Amino acid sequence: MNFFAYLTVFFFSLHINADEINLYTTRHYDSDIKLYKDFTKQTGINVNIISGKAKPLEKRILEEGKSCKGDLFFLADAGRLYSSQKNGVFKKVSSKVLEKKIPVQFRSDYWFGITKRARIIFYNPKKISSEDLVNLSYEDLTDKRFNKSIAIRQSNNVYNQSLIASMIENNGLEFTRSWTKKFVTNFSRKPQGNDRAQILSVASGESKLAIANTYYYGLMLSGKKGKEQKEAAKKVRPFFPNQQNRGTHMNISGIGVLKYSPNPGNAIKFIEFLLTNAAQEHMVNNTFEYPMIESVDPPSLITKMGGSFKQDNITNVSSYGKWQTDAFKIMQEADWN
Amino acid sequence: MTKIYQTFYPTNLTFCIILCVSTISIIPLFTIIINSSIIDFDFTLFKNSQFLEYTKNSLIILFFVLFLTFIFGVIPAYLITFYNFVGVKFFKYSLILSFAIPPYIFGYSLSAFFENFGSGYTLINVIWDTNNANSYLPNFSPIVNSVLSLSFTLYGYVFLLSRTSFEGQSVNLLDLGKSLGFSSYQRFFKIILPCARPGIFIGLSLVAMETLSDFGTVSYFGVSTFTTEIYNSWFIFDDLNASNFLSLLLLIFVLFFFIVESYLRKNSRFHSLKNEGKRKNQALKGTKNFLATAFCLCLFFFSFVFPFSQMLYWSIKFPEYLANFEILKLNLNTFLLIFFTSFFLISVAIFINFGNRLLKNRFLSFFSSLSISGYAIPGIIISVSIISFFSLMSSFINFDLKTIFIGSFYGLILGYFFRFYSIAYNGIKSNFLKINYSLDESSYLMGFDKFKTFSIIHWPILNKNIFSIFILIAIEIIKELPITLILRPFNFETFSTLAYNFATQDLIEATAIPSIFLIFWSSIFILISFKYFFQDNK
Repeated sequence: MNFFAYLTVFFFSLHINADEINLYTTRHYDSDIKLYKDFTKQTGINVNIISGKAKPLEKRILEEGKSCKGDLFFLADAGRLYSSQKNGVFKKVSSKVLEKKIPVQFRSDYWFGITKRARIIFYNPKKISSEDLVNLSYEDLTDKRFNKSIAIRQSNNVYNQSLIASMIENNGLEFTRSWTKKFVTNFSRKPQGNDRAQILSVASGESKLAIANTYYYGLMLSGKKGKEQKEAAKKVRPFFPNQQNRGTHMNISGIGVLKYSPNPGNAIKFIEFLLTNAAQEHMVNNTFEYPMIESVDPPSLITKMGGSFKQDNITNVSSYGKWQTDAFKIMQEADWN
Repeated sequence: MTKIYQTFYPTNLTFCIILCVSTISIIPLFTIIINSSIIDFDFTLFKNSQFLEYTKNSLIILFFVLFLTFIFGVIPAYLITFYNFVGVKFFKYSLILSFAIPPYIFGYSLSAFFENFGSGYTLINVIWDTNNANSYLPNFSPIVNSVLSLSFTLYGYVFLLSRTSFEGQSVNLLDLGKSLGFSSYQRFFKIILPCARPGIFIGLSLVAMETLSDFGTVSYFGVSTFTTEIYNSWFIFDDLNASNFLSLLLLIFVLFFFIVESYLRKNSRFHSLKNEGKRKNQALKGTKNFLATAFCLCLFFFSFVFPFSQMLYWSIKFPEYLANFEILKLNLNTFLLIFFTSFFLISVAIFINFGNRLLKNRFLSFFSSLSISGYAIPGIIISVSIISFFSLMSSFINFDLKTIFIGSFYGLILGYFFRFYSIAYNGIKSNFLKINYSLDESSYLMGFDKFKTFSIIHWPILNKNIFSIFILIAIEIIKELPITLILRPFNFETFSTLAYNFATQDLIEATAIPSIFLIFWSSIFILISFKYFFQDNK
């Protein structure tokens, strides 16, 4: 593009064509961008993107109101989706295709789950035997045998808030409050770092158990983080808790059409595209998440971890949003920094 | 004389424009105050024990960062100004390069090196071939990591300002010290340090402001501070008003440093004595020479070489990420932003300062100096206030300002205006202050009008410094993250937003290439500005 043409686009970037959709996203995966390019190839509809943090983007969408040029909002946590729905960000959408493909607990009338993530336990087999973990549930992590053994990130992490929110939904506020207090005493160190740092802490022997999302482990095993981290990941084993009851805690990445979307038709087409076999395969193979649709298998690195585990299909992910604030308060009360 | 001004100058119009621009520039302050006033005082966070804990963390970090930046800033500045030792010329320039590294990028490097199975682990393995490398690496606590990242990247303020103070110290005074039989330690503590106090304090107050409003670094290491509270109240409790209220508290606290700074700046004029003779730097010998070189070398290594080589290592180890960047477009985006923002900021600052000089209205001077408050408000709050303000104005005047200012290039420039106007305003103001009013009066008496006076008298003096102000704005814009992240248009990335995107998807290795560009351009700008800065002082 010549310089002046570029300048024109630069200054008048607000003009939106009909054959475009504008996407606000908190997912920052490069592989997603490649996928959007495939969508453009197939449909001729361009995808314009702006990425950022959830709340500031939500604020921008809400204040833009009817002037909003955005069509879709893609978020990486069910609680955040619920909160945006509650704040009036999304438009009600009905699509037979989407309803058929997405299990009811992973969608609402306003947004649709696109990929799933499992928040599981990782352990160091040299420090703890797999027999010690048989039939283990999240609820058992307060046990004295795990004293000063567990690595987990901070309380202001949204995945932790959703995990605790799902416990409130299933066990009630009072149980979760006293559970969290005991759970915190089993921490091996002051919560710090991201999910991968927790897995590395287990690999180094500093902690016996870690709680982290599966895709961080997949990323390490894939070698994308270098051979040292791949070796470190091999020292760690995944464990899927709550197999005897409701199943392992699942969270989602989900998307909804904005209330004042100028191109709602294209927006729905885009969501339907994200749930095609090809798109789902592309996403999970690059991000190591779990697919939303049954006809696609998770990436082999992930299935090796335990492909046929029982997912929590009982708890509706919307409830994470309902309880997240309470979850955070409980965590703070328990001195979970 | 007032009559002459009024004859030549449309006073009322200038007054209105200055009032108007100054009012616009305090929009963020204004929105914060308005929103804070509607806070629900039943606000849960205050009842929480964590609130005190977070504030305590902020103060602990602040204390240690101030302590370390004092050591890292004053000692090399003293050594470089008064002594000759191996590498002194090199350190004069190189120690300032720490400015090119944003604290959050230093944080990425620090954690990548010391984390389990990180770069430190690889390095130890290469040297000793051991399986136990993790245990040889120190495990710093999150607070220590934050303190180190902030200190190594912010000490430049103290270094630069103490050097300027030291350079300006009277040779006669130092000679007097010598003839009184003071040892070099006594001279340092009894003459040099007390005389340089204002400069050092200004540097430390800038460090304090940056430290208190930092979120990127502390959140990366998982330390909860007062700024975390601002984010939590919005992101988790969905209470933006509470978040505004907390920002206001932070602002009041930071304002304290502003007041100290401006007070000292005023006083510092009396401290900067003329250099009566050429100073002969004493040559250090033996151990002292070695220690001076070693100290400066370590500082340069940790503040610049260490983070930069971590980025370089990543870009070599993971070359596949290079293919993902539209490097030309990223450079162009950054430079267009720098060019238009600095042009706008500097033009406004010149107009306002010139107008204030002519009008000599105390209220207006005070009012326009409020505009610098933006520097102390967290970037994220500034962007939110822009969004809220234009939304409110659009419904008020029934004209869609939102499409013009939200998610556009203009909105971004406005965001930077709120945040960095203080650099242009203070820079131009201090240059105007150097011009004696009697020069203006003589010019008017000679029959020159205000434009002629400006172009013949003021411009030649201002113009020397405009370039260094431009450079300072450029460095800030290159490193800026929160405003760009929230207010940018669709499909628009800068080096910092791209680095952030990768960091949040845990592809910290991919941040290397945008970070290297960011560091490269900042370094170039810093070296140019440094040359100008010290040339001017001479």
